[in-house]
Amino acid sequence: MSNRLTEFKEMLNSWKLKEIVLMSLLGVVFAVIYLMFYFFGMGLTNVLTPFGLAPFGYEIIFGIWFIVSIVAAYIIRKPGAALVSETIAATVQVLLGSPAGPRLIISGIIQGLGAEVAFAATRWKNYTLSVLVLAGVSAAVFSFVWGWFISGFAALSPGLVVAMFIVRCLSGALLAGLLGKYVSDQLANTGVLRGYALGKERQNKREKKSA
Amino acid sequence: MKRNQRKDDIQPLVDVSSFSFGFEEKEAPVLNDLSFNIQRGETVLLMGPSGSGKSTLALCLNRLYPAAVEGWTKGTIRFKGSDTASYRDGELNQQIGVVFQDPESQFCMITVENELAFTLENLHTPRGEMDGRMEEVLEATGMTEYRYRNIHELSGGEKQKIALASVLLLNPDLLILDEPTANLDPASRKMFIDLISRLKEDWNMSVLVIEHQLDDWVEQTDRVLAVNSEGRLFLEGAPDSVFYDRFQELKAEGIHLPKVVKTAVENGIPGRPLSEADLVSGRVPDPAASEHKSPAMPGSSGTILSLNQVAFSRKKKSVLKDVSLEIRQGEFLAIAGENGAGKSTLLQLMAGLLKPSSGSRTFLDKAFEKWDEKDLRRQLGFVFQNPEHQFITDTVYDEITFGMKLNGAGEPVMEQRAKELMTKFHLSGKKYSNPFSLSGGQKRRLSVASMLDDTPELLLFDEPTFGQDARTTDELMKIISSLQQSGTAVVFVTHDMDLVDRYCERVCVISSGTIAFSGSPDKLWNRPDLVAGARLRLPFRARIQQAVKGEKPHAVVR
Amino acid sequence: MLSSVNPSVKAMTILIPGVLLAFMFDIFTPLAYLIFTVAMTFILSDIPVKRYLAIFSPFIIVALGFSWMTMLYTSDRFAGGEIVFSFLWFDITEGAIITAVSLGIRSLCIVALSLMFVLTTDSTKFMLSLMQQAKLPPKLTFGILAGYRFLPTFRHEFEVLRQAHRIRGVGRAKGIRGRIRQFRRYSIPLMANAIRKAERVAIAMESKGFTGSTGRTHYHEMKVGRKDWMFFSAFVTAFFAVVFASYLFGYLNIFGYQF
Repeated sequence: MSNRLTEFKEMLNSWKLKEIVLMSLLGVVFAVIYLMFYFFGMGLTNVLTPFGLAPFGYEIIFGIWFIVSIVAAYIIRKPGAALVSETIAATVQVLLGSPAGPRLIISGIIQGLGAEVAFAATRWKNYTLSVLVLAGVSAAVFSFVWGWFISGFAALSPGLVVAMFIVRCLSGALLAGLLGKYVSDQLANTGVLRGYALGKERQNKREKKSA
Repeated sequence: MKRNQRKDDIQPLVDVSSFSFGFEEKEAPVLNDLSFNIQRGETVLLMGPSGSGKSTLALCLNRLYPAAVEGWTKGTIRFKGSDTASYRDGELNQQIGVVFQDPESQFCMITVENELAFTLENLHTPRGEMDGRMEEVLEATGMTEYRYRNIHELSGGEKQKIALASVLLLNPDLLILDEPTANLDPASRKMFIDLISRLKEDWNMSVLVIEHQLDDWVEQTDRVLAVNSEGRLFLEGAPDSVFYDRFQELKAEGIHLPKVVKTAVENGIPGRPLSEADLVSGRVPDPAASEHKSPAMPGSSGTILSLNQVAFSRKKKSVLKDVSLEIRQGEFLAIAGENGAGKSTLLQLMAGLLKPSSGSRTFLDKAFEKWDEKDLRRQLGFVFQNPEHQFITDTVYDEITFGMKLNGAGEPVMEQRAKELMTKFHLSGKKYSNPFSLSGGQKRRLSVASMLDDTPELLLFDEPTFGQDARTTDELMKIISSLQQSGTAVVFVTHDMDLVDRYCERVCVISSGTIAFSGSPDKLWNRPDLVAGARLRLPFRARIQQAVKGEKPHAVVR
Repeated sequence: MLSSVNPSVKAMTILIPGVLLAFMFDIFTPLAYLIFTVAMTFILSDIPVKRYLAIFSPFIIVALGFSWMTMLYTSDRFAGGEIVFSFLWFDITEGAIITAVSLGIRSLCIVALSLMFVLTTDSTKFMLSLMQQAKLPPKLTFGILAGYRFLPTFRHEFEVLRQAHRIRGVGRAKGIRGRIRQFRRYSIPLMANAIRKAERVAIAMESKGFTGSTGRTHYHEMKVGRKDWMFFSAFVTAFFAVVFASYLFGYLNIFGYQF
């Protein structure tokens, strides 16, 4: 355990303060943007309520919760980026007064771990679209297992649980993996990422092209 | 504390020798073979055009660069005789204080008190001493009553004073000011500069001021350094000799000279004045003639927009009450007033972005409620303070043609119009560039160009020159006046009375929710009560004029 | 009183019942604990009832939605007992109703616990306490606080973006593609700004001598005292008391197993 702790501390030392502040700021930005999706989910919920499927309204947008870890991992490209960023984003949400309270931090850690596992499987070398999508799905799987336990999905009929699981995985793949890559690439085009791994990769590609 | 008192006295505080810095190995260095020093107690002014690496130098001096950006360096910087590379992590930062340009992003805590505590904790100050230290720096900066306030609720000027206060906690030997007033309005700017000149003696600091807006700094400067766009030091010396002997050279490098110097040179005033007081004692013949360029009224014509007893409240708090205002065709109107007076709200009401809680508004003889949103936007443009907020596409071309596309224009028409606009706004080489990747000035121009797909009747600007350097400001104002000359009415919110003096035929002052003044700028300059009440600063021309007449030279209020 | 409890202890206190409640599938246990939590919130703090209700009531609707779903799609193991009523093609049994109501109340109970925390805890002190008690590294603590500070800035910026888009003639987006484009239009400027600000803030913090080392003094010394442990034991004891009472009354149901 203490070994893990020192490992974690070493990892943290290799991080620059600006990267940590950035992850925190991304948490704030997405907290604001989430509002947009929240109302979108509300609309869906209203339609689905009579059929007892109201919670699906949120399942569909669930993936947006994992986008921070995808974006951070894709931009910063260091071991732990997905885990730390998601945890930080969750902590920021708690500070902002999220009614989910401190338990959200645990959810954040679990989701972040989910995404991190996918990047770890490539030894943090591969950040192609398929890995990003996989990370989104993996985060969805982790979060679903946690949700299954904490929200009592055990009492739901297996058919429904499977349906919810599939929807959440799809949402993770699309809203976290795909959208996360799309937004980060667009961001790299603006030139603000010059000091980060993604920006540097872009720069190298451009130089090779022109050479 | 100071062990080698004698040694300290003879060696410079900072000694930079053949220092170069670059972000990337392959790219040209940002700082190029710099050698200079800063003595104890000295105030040095470092100037140079935008992009000459001035800010980079500040961060090299306290050794945050190259580590923070993985850049490279050559040569050495010595602080108190030791190579800065030999200092422990953080040690140097605890002796060199820096105040940065952007008041929004210098803090990590919510309240003033906690922000100050953050610095003290970094210094390992014992808890029992913290209270006294906080009181000391708050008093020094005149911010005592702000101790328990939230930082984000303060004005830009107040934020910068808190940034200064937290840096004073370090008891720094060297204070670096990296364009600390670039994002402040002129009145706050003057106040900040005066504050520095009072503090540096008491706190026994050397000061390095990095600036391109030199006015007001020059009088307290001991020595001037100038870097050029290649990051090389090309001039060094006492302010009077640098400014007066090398006037042409500085101009050629694109460095904006202080107004006092410009006025003195252009009017052949002797005595090399550096302050307004010296300039005036040199007897200016008539400064009005050289600066005043307010355009003549274009033939009086009809009203295009009118507000009739408009009021607006936000969260039950009244922001504007009983505002009646008419905008005439092709006029150039400035809206001025204190922070939070409701200037931007008024502009948003004019644009139809907000609905008044009472009163009526008409635009081109039609009530706002009756306008179709799409038609309204073709006739009425709005340029936001931050150009980035308006960008919605990936390329400059798409950005310019976006409105035309919405209105169903054909490709050849768009191509033609876009070409015209890109030429006019010097964006031709940037057709396929990402709007966000442009320079500050280019972004600003693009944000205006994107409003001009049709020729609008009215263009509204919310502090368009805020935080822009002098060159961008000049460029932008030229564009705005040319639009106005071609018949578009222009309304802009500003704190900068020099702009108002130069360009506007009418100025409205908003104070406590109503229009306190509406008339020509010249009339406003003769109403010191109003100027003071709205916390404005008289323009340079009016200050000199009034001083020559023997009136109070500085009509700035505290 | 609640606001003076050490934030780390408070967080831990509400996490324990929050997690353990996940095992309970009867109505009595979460209901009793919900009543206890809400009562304690009002006894130990001066949150206005109106404000509390304004924040709490939307969650009742969410809980109802969730209960309704559970009722219609209860798994066989939980759907025992008589059929009480039918709706469309669903047969609702007694067991389904009990489970559904239990899950709904459980979610409300967790909201009540969280609100007790959120409404009485100062964000800065929470972070400082995490640093001082839970040994969160200062680099993370102040890095997080530095970002959190920007909430009002970004909220404001979001509003300005909305206005700016209106000026450009972009209305509310329709359809999935429109949504994604709209998402991009908002997120790019916000994120671009976040990145620039992150760099500047980090530089400003370091230039004030911040190194991230753990050796620093503390202006706000966050302490854990007797009062904090009393608070902790009160909430944990109450939870087990409720579980025990539930057992005595014969309600207790853990993951479908009646005790």
